[in-house]
Amino acid sequence: MGDRSAQAREEILDGLKSALQQQQALFRETVGRDLPDPPMTVFPPPEDRSLVESFAARLTALSGSCDVVRQDEDVAARVVHQIRQWVPTSADEPIEVLSWEAGELDVARLEQSLAEANITWFAPHELREQSVRDHAAALVVGLTGVTAAFANTGSIVLTPGPGRSRAAGLLPLHHLVLVPLSRLYPTFEAWLLVLRQQGRLEALVRDSGQIAFITGPSKSADIELNLTLGVHGPKVVHAIVFDDT
Amino acid sequence: MTSSSNDRERPRVALFVTCMVDTLYPEVGLAAVDLLERSGATVVFPEEQTCCGQPAFNAGYRDEARRMAQHFLDVFGPLIANHQADAIVAPSGSCVAMVKHFYEVLFTDSGQEEQRQLVHRLSAATYELTQYLVDVLGVEESAAAYDGAITYHPCCHLLRELAVDSQPRHLLSTIDGAEIVELQAEHECCGFGGLFALKNAGISTAMGQRKVECIIQSGADVVAVNDVSCMTHINGLLGKTEHQCRAVHIAELLAGSAPNSRDAR
Amino acid sequence: MNIDVSAPYQQRVAQALSDHNLRTALERATSRLSGKRDVSVAAIELRELRNEARAIKEHAIRHLPELLQQLENNLIANGCQVHWAQTADEANAIVADIARQRGVRRAVKSKSMTTEEIHLNHALEDAGVGIVETDLGEYIIQLADEPPSHITAPVVHKRAEDISELFQRELGMRPTNDPAEMCAAARERLRGEFLAADMGISGCNFAIAETGTICIVTNEGNGRMATSMPPVYVAVMGIEKVVPRVEDALLLWQAVTRSATGQDVTVYFSLSSGPRRPGQPDGPEEMHIVLVDNGRSRIIERGYADTLLCVRCGACLNSCPVYREIGGHSYGQTAYSGPIGAVVTPLLAADPATAKDLPFASSLCGICREVCPVKIDLPRLLLDLRSDLTRVGTPPKYERSAIRAYTHVVERPGRYRWMLRLTRWLSRLLPTSRSGDITRFPPPLSAWTQSRVFPRFPSQSFRQLWHKRQNQPQRPSDNG
Repeated sequence: MGDRSAQAREEILDGLKSALQQQQALFRETVGRDLPDPPMTVFPPPEDRSLVESFAARLTALSGSCDVVRQDEDVAARVVHQIRQWVPTSADEPIEVLSWEAGELDVARLEQSLAEANITWFAPHELREQSVRDHAAALVVGLTGVTAAFANTGSIVLTPGPGRSRAAGLLPLHHLVLVPLSRLYPTFEAWLLVLRQQGRLEALVRDSGQIAFITGPSKSADIELNLTLGVHGPKVVHAIVFDDT
Repeated sequence: MTSSSNDRERPRVALFVTCMVDTLYPEVGLAAVDLLERSGATVVFPEEQTCCGQPAFNAGYRDEARRMAQHFLDVFGPLIANHQADAIVAPSGSCVAMVKHFYEVLFTDSGQEEQRQLVHRLSAATYELTQYLVDVLGVEESAAAYDGAITYHPCCHLLRELAVDSQPRHLLSTIDGAEIVELQAEHECCGFGGLFALKNAGISTAMGQRKVECIIQSGADVVAVNDVSCMTHINGLLGKTEHQCRAVHIAELLAGSAPNSRDAR
Repeated sequence: MNIDVSAPYQQRVAQALSDHNLRTALERATSRLSGKRDVSVAAIELRELRNEARAIKEHAIRHLPELLQQLENNLIANGCQVHWAQTADEANAIVADIARQRGVRRAVKSKSMTTEEIHLNHALEDAGVGIVETDLGEYIIQLADEPPSHITAPVVHKRAEDISELFQRELGMRPTNDPAEMCAAARERLRGEFLAADMGISGCNFAIAETGTICIVTNEGNGRMATSMPPVYVAVMGIEKVVPRVEDALLLWQAVTRSATGQDVTVYFSLSSGPRRPGQPDGPEEMHIVLVDNGRSRIIERGYADTLLCVRCGACLNSCPVYREIGGHSYGQTAYSGPIGAVVTPLLAADPATAKDLPFASSLCGICREVCPVKIDLPRLLLDLRSDLTRVGTPPKYERSAIRAYTHVVERPGRYRWMLRLTRWLSRLLPTSRSGDITRFPPPLSAWTQSRVFPRFPSQSFRQLWHKRQNQPQRPSDNG
């Protein structure tokens, strides 16, 4: 920290302390409550639906889409199917997807199924170099898992890590998200509660460096309030929910 | 000070007529008295009253507003303190809001404890007309009749500072023969705002023109209001159009003294 | 037509009121946003949400110094560099310095009102750094070289045709008014900027003290891009943004999204706590946070800590009947307009009198207070500011004299009755319409009669009629 910055720090903190002390009543009216502990669940999911149904309904309402794969079905095949739908080429033309590493995706036989379908996967270790970044940016499908998903809003959470690039869920036009049931929670609040109870919150924040809540495709209403999708982030978000329990 | 009856069993109301009603719309004051008396109150009129001080307060002149508030306390304070009146009632939401919510802002210094206590007592005893009629006197219906369509514009201070809304609407709905029609965007401000109407006349007029447009669209013959300030602004604009519709104070409608009122039943 | 934000207040307002296109755009945008807000808050326990949001913010402001220190400690533990700036100039110098040391030639920026407030863009450009706004609305006004006109919807004042013209000129886009095509043109251009930028800059919606985290809210994805792709990430934040816990940020986020646009949540809510960790494929190498005061401590000293409760949702703008008529640029050269802007703009200034007209640009209708998710009593703050400004002598002389004269008259019933007689007599000299209404007042009251008529004074006041009614003999002094 520069000298001026350190000085400003003292001035600001001292200034705040004395300003706060000086005021008899800080606010003209007070709500008269302490910090809510814990805060309310703002938006509980409907009780007459399963978590999966709520999640799928919410995501769809926001112009995303969702597939629910039954236990006996082949998740990997669904993934292949979805990718081929988005990039309709003949079967012998290879498609490349920007992806998390297979180990982070938790789906049996995923790598093999993709390989069989002539889909190659690009899970870069490093995205510093311009050529690598340009390569990644040219891919139209991104494939990730989730750290958690939420039924009440149709949201997912991504956290970067070794084998989990930020770019995969950010750069390509299409984002394919694999959501295992074990990571589907009713609400953010419920998830946070679990993290705290298990003492995992601090580690999650420190180890990841970023926690990204994502709800549906990117959008803007800046041009005369017309809703447009895919402004900077993905234009198409498709979730495949599967039972891993 | 004069009063209309010596019956001590009836609640005694000190009428706070407000400066605008006193000087520009005396018939509204008379209608208010009629309503209160017919509904079972005895009305006393402390003649030394003038203005509550709201225009000065809203314009940022607190010293001046305080002087006018002090006069109000001098006039109405003893009545309440000596139980010569049970309540202070005004045909105006904004003036009542001034007394109930903003007088305490004017007397915050350490040397003003006496005024603060008096303000506290008076605040609790001050009511807007329809609020008093319904909530205290228990009036359930109007005895008036009206030939035509009525719509209602909720004045901002009445609605948001005093939370009075269902009372005037209910009373209007009981006027015999009147058709109550809906006002679009009814919760929007008419644009008067005190000195705002002069200092920001352009904006005030633009807001008022929207209100007038909605009033005309409603098809009503009259729009009922609880504040003559809103009424003056709305009629000020309507008066420059070809339309016959006008804003009328709710007291006149309820007392049956508005134009087009039929004889009360 | 563009409003000249440096012109005097009355001129700006007059320009806005005569701009039909602007007013149409404002009406559409604000009624749509406030309508969506109404639907969204009806679906939840709004009362409880407002109380909790308010409790969180009150706690945060009361404990600001401790929370800021906790925030700083955790940010540093996470590998970030924390800088403090008393003034706008200091903040800009810090960012420019970081840019210089890292050889930054081009920076991408995610929307931030704080950076507008301190004029960061101009400062960086002066330092030789090309800076690109990436929020679509902000990008548009950057191309048009205008300030934003709304806290969350910066181009609410522009039509699709205007934007198309702009894109054709600046991006070489083909002629079209289709919003999807326009977005695609912007996406393509900005994609290149994101990937090549040396630095990403963001503001901060909330900063979490317990984890050392900067939270930003977007719908477009430019926030994540700007904070993930470039090697250096700088977050600029007003010191009032800090909250204690992760849960607090999540609650406030949801309160903001519902109040601002009627969304349950925004598409993106990005919580950044530090640079990329070892083994991660991407993310910034460095993360800096600049904590900015720029008058916020002074706001507390001035007795207006209530304004620091603001969570920047813009709901007050969307519900304000005055804002709807005049738009954000009428509030002048400021990042903050509408009801909150009318209070905060003078208070952030070294001399509040420089924005003396703003607190009077309100009819005090109170809708803003109703829709504020943290229950700020804006009408009360406006009244207090009016009193403060009047005390230091900002109103015109004749207004002061008139109010004084009125007070003098009103204090004594005798004077009051006399004044009424005089006014009634004088009013008979004024021109009237056929129906008897007064049609012209002398200045300055002429502001009324320019657009309105006024009722003539009745020959008897209420008190005279009261006496008649009581059949009491009149006292000699009652002839007024």
